Amino acid sequence: MSDYSSKALTIAINYLGPAAGTFLERQTMYHMKGLVFTSLEKKHIPEFAKWVRISAGLIIDPAKAKELSEKIAALDYF
Amino acid sequence: MTKIIDSLETKLVVSFLMLILIISGGTFVFTYSQTKSALKEQMREELMSIAGVAATQIDGDVLSKLIPGDESSAKFIQIRDQLVKIKDSNSHIMYLYTMRKDGSRVEFIVDADYGIKEDAALIGDVYEEDAIELINGFSKISADTEFTTDEWGTVLSGYAPIKDSGGKTVAIIGVDMDSNKVIERQNFIGNTIYYIMGIGILIAAIIIGYFSVTIIKDIKKLNKVANEISTGNTNVQMDVKRDDEIGELAESFGRMAASLKIMMMPSSEKPVEKPKEKPIAKQKKE
Repeated sequence: MSDYSSKALTIAINYLGPAAGTFLERQTMYHMKGLVFTSLEKKHIPEFAKWVRISAGLIIDPAKAKELSEKIAALDYF
Repeated sequence: MTKIIDSLETKLVVSFLMLILIISGGTFVFTYSQTKSALKEQMREELMSIAGVAATQIDGDVLSKLIPGDESSAKFIQIRDQLVKIKDSNSHIMYLYTMRKDGSRVEFIVDADYGIKEDAALIGDVYEEDAIELINGFSKISADTEFTTDEWGTVLSGYAPIKDSGGKTVAIIGVDMDSNKVIERQNFIGNTIYYIMGIGILIAAIIIGYFSVTIIKDIKKLNKVANEISTGNTNVQMDVKRDDEIGELAESFGRMAASLKIMMMPSSEKPVEKPKEKPIAKQKKE
């Protein structure tokens, strides 16, 4: 698992619980041209954060989804 | 659906109210009883002080020589006037009198009310009541520990020995304070404590009621969400935002609900296929 994948998963678990990994895998698989989540790189972060916000907003409170997305987007600065 | 009588809210509110009542009731009873005792003790101290001072102002030699029938004598009137002066100096004194022992009985000598009130005692009038502290007054300054009721009313009394020039105790001076004033003071303090406790209980009940209701309200929300999810409806929002343990529970609950939603979502979205590259058309040789 890449460093970015690991960090994103750690952030997402606090919002989505144990199924966070499954959720994130689906975002890269279905919205980022079949990208494998464990291969997430820095260049993927902006688009990845966008899809996380959209999809997570259907599962949790939209404000929380935005918060999650912003934290993932901040990984772009590492 | 939980019955009202079984609900956590009912149990919490009833328990807190009972606790407040027991603690405040106990505190009130203890405080009032201690205050009553202290007030009575204060009155006793005041009575003994007055009796002690008054006893030193009475001439024991003259007093001891008074016999029944001497009520018109100058010496009797002089002592009577002294007692009146002492009595008038303190508005709380109801009766002021001197007594002596005659064998096993106690009799009046000079009553400050002689010539002023019709029921004033005469020299030699026997005091029928059995008062331990009155007897003690012949040996030391003392005061009753409880109110005394006799034909002249209900009072708290203090006593001090009157000595002659040889230092021998020939009589006692008795100071009676009207019990109404004592009871008035006790009731005033009791009522004040009662009102303060009442206000305190009311405020405590409001505060406890508020916190109980808000806690129970949020627990009910969590319960409702749990019920929805357990019956298959994962489309629920966790509307509990608190900074305490219930807030943490709500957040944990939210994560669990989100995970459940994710696992229950069908994987109906197909992966996006990479577009096939169009073969490069062969350029016709011109």
